[in-house]
Parts: sequence; C-alpha cells; structure tokens
Amino acid sequence: MSLSRRQVVAAIPAAAFAAGLPRGPAVAQDGRKVVTFWFGQANSDGQAALRNDLVEAFNASQDKYLLQLEVKGAAVNNLLKIALVAGNGPDIVQTAGPAYLTAIANAGQVLPLDDFAERYKWKERFLPALLNTSVYGGKLYALPRDYESMHLFYNKEVFSQNGWKLPTNRAEFEQVADAALAKGIIPFGAGNADWKGVNEWLMTVFFNNVAGPDNVRKALAGDMPWTAEPFVEAVDLSKAWFNKGYFGKNYFSLTIEQSFLQVVSGKAAMALSGTWSFGTKSYGMSKPDTVMDVAPVPGLGAAVTAPLVHLACGATLSIAKNSQNPEGAAAVFDFMLSRKFYESMNRDWPGKWALPVRDLPPDMLKGIGYPLFEKTIAGLHEAFGKGRYGFTTWTFWPGATNSYLIEGIEQVWLNRITTDAYLGRIQTLFSQEAKDGKVPPLPPRTA
Amino acid sequence: MWLFALPALLINVFIILIPAMLTFMAAFVIWDGVGTPVWAGLANFRHMFDDPVFWSALTNNFIWTAIFLTVPVCIALVMAAALLMAPRSRVVVQTIIFLPRILAVAVTGRIFQGMIFSPATGLVAWLNERGVSIADPLANPDLSLYAVAAVDIWHWWGFLAVVFLAAMRQISVDQIEAARLDGAGFFALLRYVLLPGIRPTLALMLILTVIWSFQVFEFIFIVTRGGPAYGSEVLATLAYRHAFFEGDVGQAAAVACVMSLFGLCATAAYLWLQSRDSSHST
Repeated sequence: MSLSRRQVVAAIPAAAFAAGLPRGPAVAQDGRKVVTFWFGQANSDGQAALRNDLVEAFNASQDKYLLQLEVKGAAVNNLLKIALVAGNGPDIVQTAGPAYLTAIANAGQVLPLDDFAERYKWKERFLPALLNTSVYGGKLYALPRDYESMHLFYNKEVFSQNGWKLPTNRAEFEQVADAALAKGIIPFGAGNADWKGVNEWLMTVFFNNVAGPDNVRKALAGDMPWTAEPFVEAVDLSKAWFNKGYFGKNYFSLTIEQSFLQVVSGKAAMALSGTWSFGTKSYGMSKPDTVMDVAPVPGLGAAVTAPLVHLACGATLSIAKNSQNPEGAAAVFDFMLSRKFYESMNRDWPGKWALPVRDLPPDMLKGIGYPLFEKTIAGLHEAFGKGRYGFTTWTFWPGATNSYLIEGIEQVWLNRITTDAYLGRIQTLFSQEAKDGKVPPLPPRTA
Repeated sequence: MWLFALPALLINVFIILIPAMLTFMAAFVIWDGVGTPVWAGLANFRHMFDDPVFWSALTNNFIWTAIFLTVPVCIALVMAAALLMAPRSRVVVQTIIFLPRILAVAVTGRIFQGMIFSPATGLVAWLNERGVSIADPLANPDLSLYAVAAVDIWHWWGFLAVVFLAAMRQISVDQIEAARLDGAGFFALLRYVLLPGIRPTLALMLILTVIWSFQVFEFIFIVTRGGPAYGSEVLATLAYRHAFFEGDVGQAAAVACVMSLFGLCATAAYLWLQSRDSSHST
C-alpha cells in the first residue's frame, strides 16, 4: 500500500489525537485486567521476593487481575513524576515516603483512597501514626508500605572483649567512643560515598536524640524556629563527634555496606543505621552466631532521658489518578495485608515490607528465624502504637529543606559554614515550604 | 528541496527548540514538576543569585573549563604529533589511548572511585598499607573537583589525540619534511607547522570544550554527586538537585538558562571565527 504525501500529512494530527485518547485497561491474554506497578531499587534477594511473594502469589490468589511489576531502579521517583504528569504512569504509585508523596497528592495525581479504605477497613487496620502521614485535606492518599527507624547496631563481641556496656546517655556514649579511639577501633562505622542520605540518617538521630522529639515536632509544626538552642546543640554535637573522628577518617569515601561491615568485622564498634540494614544478607545478622546486636538509640541530651525510636515511612503506595484499573490496584493492596504475604516477604526480604498493621503483630515473625529483626520490629510496633517516637527527616521534612539538611551539614562538619548559618538557611527554606503547603502532615502524638 | 531538510528540522524543533523554550519559560514560574506552575517573574533568578552555592558551582565550571582547555589538549597535541612522526606504532597506540573513550561513563567513574581512590579497596588503600600516607582526594572538598577532572581527562584525552592526529595527517608532508630539513625539532615542528596546520580543528575542539564544560554532569554526579560540602558542585548537578531532590523545577530551569548562556557565547564565538576565516579566504 502506498500513501500519498497528503495522506501522510493528514495522518499526523489523527495519530496525535489517538495518542491523547484515554486508555482502556490493559487486558492480559487470559482476559484478566492488568495492574502495573513500578518498584524502585531491589537487590537480587529483593527481586526474587517481589517476584515470588508478591507478583506470582497475587496472580495465583485470584483470577480477575494480573499484576505486572517492573523494577525501575534508583531513578524511579523522577520517572514517576514525569510519567504521572504525562498521564502514562503505572496503576500503583509507590513513592519514597510522605515527603515525596506531598507534591504528588497536592497536584491531584493520585486518587483518594477513602472509599477503598472503608470497604477494606484499612483505617482500622493500620497504625494511625503511620497512616496519618498520608492524609491531606482530610483525605487518605496512600498506604504506608513499611515502618523504619534509626537504631544503634553494635558488635557485642567487641563490647564484651573491651568490657564496655551499652551506653545509655551522651556521657557513656562518648566514654565508649573515646575508649574505642584509644584502642584504634572506629567508634561508628559510617560512610556516604554511595548515598548522601546517610547524612540525614545521622542528623535524624542528632535532632531527635539531642533536641528531643517534642522540640522537633514543634519546629515541624512551625511553633519553634530551627535556629532555637536545642537544634544548635544538636548540630554542634554532630560536628564535635565528626571532628573527633567518631565516624572514622573515611566517611566520604566508604559505601554504606563497607562501613557497616567494619562493625561486623570488629574494625568499628557501632553503627547508627536504619532497620533496612536487616535486609542485607552480607551483614550476617540473621545467623544464630552473629556478633551483632541492636538497640534503640539512647538519649543524647537533657530533653531525652530514654532510648528513642524514630518514626519513618520508607515508602507509600497510592493509585494513579489516570489508572484504568483502580479496583485491581486496591485488590493488590489488600493482598499485601494478608498474613501469608507478611510472613513470606519479611522472611525473604527482611526490613523492606514491615507493614504497620495492627492485626499483623510482629510476633508473627517468630517463625522466620531472625531474632534481631523480630525484636526490633516488636519494639517499633509498640512505640509507634503508643505514640513514643521521634521524627525522621526523610519522612517529615519538605524537599528543599531536607536536601539542604543533607548537603549543608557537610559544610558544617568541614568548617566551611557555622552552625548558625546552617540552621538559619534551614529555617528560611522551611518557612517558605511551610507557606507553600509542602510540609508533610504530622501524625497524632498518641495512638 | 525543503522536504529534504524537513526531517532534521522537525527533530530540531521537537527535540531541541520546543524543550529549550519550555525550559526558558519554566525559569519564570514556581513549579514542583507535578502541580500547576505559578508565575514568579524574576524570583527564581533572584534566589539563584542570592545562593552562594550557585556562585561556587559557577566558579567550579570555570575551573573545569580552564582545566579542559589546557591539560587534555596539551597531552593530546603532543601525543598526536608523536604518532604522526611514528607511523609504525600508530594503530596500536591509537587503539590503546582511545579505549577509555568507549568505556561507559558509569564504569569509568566506578573504576576510579573503587579501584583507585578508595581507602578501602583502591590504590590509595594499597599505598597506605605500604606506609605511603595518602588520603582519598574525593573526600576533600578542596581537591574533589580536580580528582573528578582527572578521571574525565583520562577518559577524554585519547579521543582528542585521535582527532588531532587525523587533522595533522591532512597537512602536506612536504611542509613537514621541509621544516625538518631546516632543523626544526619536535616542539618547533609542533609550534610552527602542525599547530597552524590544524588551527580550524583546534578552534572547533576548544569551542566545543567550552560548551561541554558548562554542561558537565555525568562524571561529577557518579563520582562525588557534587560533594563533599558542594566542593565539586557544578551548574548541571545543581540544576539536577533543584529539579529532582528539591522539587523546584523553576530554580533548576534558571540555572539551566545560565548554562545555556555560556554555551551560546561559545557558539557565537565559533560562528564569528568561521565567518572571519571564510572572509579571509575569499
């Protein structure tokens, strides 16, 4: 068939029009409606768990929908934003937490889930502390995929060989750290060569465990400036520890895995890291003879007298505004709340999918053979359920403020700017973002 | 006849002109990339000029440009001239020096980061174990830009040498032999015969170097992400940070406009040089 030039020219607007038409739901060969889901980063264990425990298990559990999951890598957040604006995103929208969700929800790119929440009783099942991080204007826009917290990981053999006790306050912490330095042991294995976000992991601990979660909450609510004395003390302490060499000489050169393995090997004594560390098999923390142990981070200032966990939601799950199959996406969410999925996913990829659901208690994890993970999740479940927690920067700080918090602290640690200049800039950025409605919602203090 | 130009024209309009115009327009709005843009006038530019990180990034772009206008160009010129004089080893040496160019940027970046500079797994660690006290330059905000530049130079100079050699081979052999008979040594030959002979190619590569230096992104993003403490931040990584980490597309577009401005200046300079040369030759 040959086309004339006129026919070709006439076909261009027709094709453009066709491309802009609303899409019908994709249908698989067996007649099932397709549900699409883009996932971010997943190591080989994670990809196997996603394939076996989620995709294949969901598809086998019913015959109406076919879940298709693609692992998109680290750039998934950027891809997702562009795809949503273009109206071509996946049905299930996963973001890297409430701070990322805010812009998408405010722009109306995801559907309110309230009807589904009522039908599937999600509001009754999820812990309010986590669920409320996705409520905007009284409407629920996402479900929390997991809960996380910073914790103190330590090598119990190094502690026992040196006669050190687990520190319970700043003085004891510094005593252990100084003793470690004197013996040529790095106090904290830490490195941000592959992920600058390590800076905010540490600053989450300093802000909350020095200034106290109540002050952090006040600042996030706009009732206290970030330049207030408790935050000055927090930043100054982080700088003092950095300059004393508590984080080692190679903080900017080591990767997260290299630095954590220093603790496992005994070259370092402790690590301030998140509960996602349980998912890295090379750390060997699931083995019965592991040298590692874990505890909530002790208070580091007068405002914090007991160990503290930090409320974090590492990922949220929503349904795209342009989804042609919202029912299917909601069915996937409900499948994720099944006991079978909870057990298998946490066994195969610990720490990544710890759903904050009341009727999925952590004691269900007893069978997976990972005592450290089990006790940590049990602690988080209790603390988050009772409203005793601090606030992680990656969940509650708005984008520009958080980006500067990460980048600017390096300038403080390397003596390029003062603490006052750093906090002053944070306050300026935060005020602007608060004015623009970009601060993620704060959860209630009690369950 | 215009139909022959149409495909290229359409590609340029849709892939370059329209996105460029949209980026320019985005510099005048406040936009998080997903919501509704709000007109902001010159606010993005005011914020940009008030931001000390912008000025340090701009300075780093100038330093980067100065490095790439000199170091790889000098190495490449000397190597190209040497290869011109030694035709027997030309094929093997060209292949070897061109090899880094065909490696993916991410691979090259990771090789240098993990196998050279790393104090845990790299050459730096090996030297430290043998008593040579040396620190990872990527961890020092005063050195990190130069360390990344070294990686990019390793990746780039071989390509330049091959381009210069191709240009030198167009110079008349008689001219080169006459200079040799007159007693010109290697550097005199390079200075008085080869360099004038490849002047148009050299000018083009220098102009392109200026344009590329203001667009540099991959190596810095892969190796240091602009750090530590903004030590290796350049305009492209700053724009990326604004757009994708801070959700401030307007601010990112303002930075991109500055990058384009320098590219435009370099292009204008090249066009002026070309028109001057053609008017001289007529």
